[in-house]
Amino acid sequence: MICVIFSVVRTPLSSVLVQKRRSKSYRQSYRSCISAASHLGYTPGLNTRRLTTSRRAPKSRSVTEKVDPQQLALLLNKEWQLSYVTALHRFRHTQLKSYSRQLSAFIVAEKQQGLAVQVGLESSIKVSFSVVLGMAETEDDAETIFIQIHSRSLFAGQDDPQKVLWSGWLTCVNGDPDYLCSVPKDFVCLPLFCSSGAQWLTSAVKSWFQRTFDCCFGPLEINSVNLQWLAVLWTNCHSECNIQHLKLMWTLPVLPPLEVNYTLHPQDAWLLWRSVRQQEDEEDEENNGGGAGEEGSIGIGEVTRFMKGLKGHFYRHFRMDLSAGRLSQVSTALGTAKHSGKIKISNSSYMITTLMLLTECALHKMPI
Amino acid sequence: MDDSFKRLLERTIRRIPAHMLKTTLAKWGRLTTEQQRSLDFRQTKAAFTRNLLGLCDENDLTVKHITELEMICVMYNPNKGMWHALRLLDPEDQAPSVELTQFKEQFKAHLAELIRNVSIKIKKHTDEAVWIRIAWGNSFTRPNHLKPTYVVHYLQTPYVFVNGLTSKQKPLLSQALVLATRYSSIKDASLSGQKLTAIRDLLMRQYQQVFPTKYPSPLEEKNQLTSNPHIEREQAEHAENRLQMACEAFGDGTLPQLQTAVYKLETKFRDNSNKIMTESEEPFRCFVKFASTNLLESLRCCASSGISSTPVTPLLSSITQKGRNYFVITDKGFGPPPQTSHPEN
Repeated sequence: MICVIFSVVRTPLSSVLVQKRRSKSYRQSYRSCISAASHLGYTPGLNTRRLTTSRRAPKSRSVTEKVDPQQLALLLNKEWQLSYVTALHRFRHTQLKSYSRQLSAFIVAEKQQGLAVQVGLESSIKVSFSVVLGMAETEDDAETIFIQIHSRSLFAGQDDPQKVLWSGWLTCVNGDPDYLCSVPKDFVCLPLFCSSGAQWLTSAVKSWFQRTFDCCFGPLEINSVNLQWLAVLWTNCHSECNIQHLKLMWTLPVLPPLEVNYTLHPQDAWLLWRSVRQQEDEEDEENNGGGAGEEGSIGIGEVTRFMKGLKGHFYRHFRMDLSAGRLSQVSTALGTAKHSGKIKISNSSYMITTLMLLTECALHKMPI
Repeated sequence: MDDSFKRLLERTIRRIPAHMLKTTLAKWGRLTTEQQRSLDFRQTKAAFTRNLLGLCDENDLTVKHITELEMICVMYNPNKGMWHALRLLDPEDQAPSVELTQFKEQFKAHLAELIRNVSIKIKKHTDEAVWIRIAWGNSFTRPNHLKPTYVVHYLQTPYVFVNGLTSKQKPLLSQALVLATRYSSIKDASLSGQKLTAIRDLLMRQYQQVFPTKYPSPLEEKNQLTSNPHIEREQAEHAENRLQMACEAFGDGTLPQLQTAVYKLETKFRDNSNKIMTESEEPFRCFVKFASTNLLESLRCCASSGISSTPVTPLLSSITQKGRNYFVITDKGFGPPPQTSHPEN
């Protein structure tokens, strides 16, 4: 297998996104992410993308206008296990039928290796690859691919319902344009891989991709900083779409482990968030003398202040410091995100924002 | 052999742990020694139940006999399902002198007056607890033995524990209990959990408590961790104090295995760095749930390791001091527990 090294990586002199106060807050968040990823042997030198310190406040995208609702329904309300995948060599969106056949044959072959086999089970698996149009945000994003594995009975008719054994999708939503442009022409970058179904099928699909497209997969965890971002981005939507509750879960490292579930009333969470925003705007006016920052953008400083506010309220009552534990889950009516790399999207309106954040996480994990 | 007989027997046998089957059937005493010897205890439970059904048929046993078996099973395996604690209030003069036979008669009489077609069984357990099994019916239906309520009461104490009680049945049971025990009223004790033994020990303080002393001698740290001796010397006094206060709040040694504690907070948000929220008059509503396989052990560990500051806040130490695990906190203090529904755990 050939190992491709990108010889040219453009390092922008000016940063990727507009950032207001770069120095202090950015370095703090960068360091915390580095420590989380350091077990991968992640050397900052090669991957020089900056960590986002400010994001646009999410607006309800009428995703249903751009994406077929039937396809969208397949993605919602299901818990997906996340992985990152490196760029795919010679992946063609036009060859999907051929890929379906190849993967189907591969899975049947895998199944027969060393497992009990019934005679005549040849075509019991049906694989379908399809394109989900409309999820790409920029020109550089590749179109999302959706894969489904059905079980098929030999005697089933055309209209008999088929049981879905496994589903998964590869996507890239608003990926870092500098990185995407630096990927050589023959490669397609779909860094976020979501899977749901039996573990052996997930491994089989990953093996097939690794063999066919010379890529590699790795687990994608959602670290505490990104979970906090999700908490804030979702809370920010409350004025337009009722989030019903903001539920945060910490695990404290005691024996036996203690789980703390902190659920906030949505209106009160939103009021706290709004007060943090207003305060930030006031301070901005004092510092910059009225020079308004980017309209609708949220800085990491505001996220930190919001979390500090809620943890402070908790501390005043229980005198227990939640920072000693690990934030392991965030959930609202819009979705649930877990530290172990599981995500469930319950509402299509703000789906794109969530996927943008996850795509960024996946890109940050790229070994090259 | 009707359907409810079979279902009840199946369910009861499923609930009894395999290693206790033999002794439980022996305690039941409805099978002859020969019949007991003829049973193969190594079979699967389904096959075993079929054989047992055959033997019950031979002996002409009825549903009532199976309920005896179920009661023995629950008495010796009480840590399943959800138990809720109730507390009797304002004893009358005769309350302390109520003894078992009197209680049994009075309870059966009062409950039968309140509702027709109810089946009551009362037994005394080895630890002086009075166990009551109630199968509810009404004027039109016979008692439903598949959905019984179990009640455990320790005579001469105001504590009652219930399992499987619906909101419709609660007022009837409360009335009967109050009259039979000679108290004035009964209320929800805001304490519930899966393990009866845990909530009983917590409420009746049957665990090793630690009291503040004037000349504290350090409690033995059970887990000796190897660490830098310089750090240990520096931290020794602080660690001792933390451990002492943690144990005062939660107890020493093995603690009752409580699993959850729930706090409903309706207090105002106060933060010097956030003027807008601090000025608001409205409460900041949130809900906090602590969960662990052994909650008190976890909380004690938090306090002794410094994750939570000592002295332990009254919100947490109230779990042991007041024997509760559901609290409503307002700015005025600990709110009254809700009278109607049981909290979701």
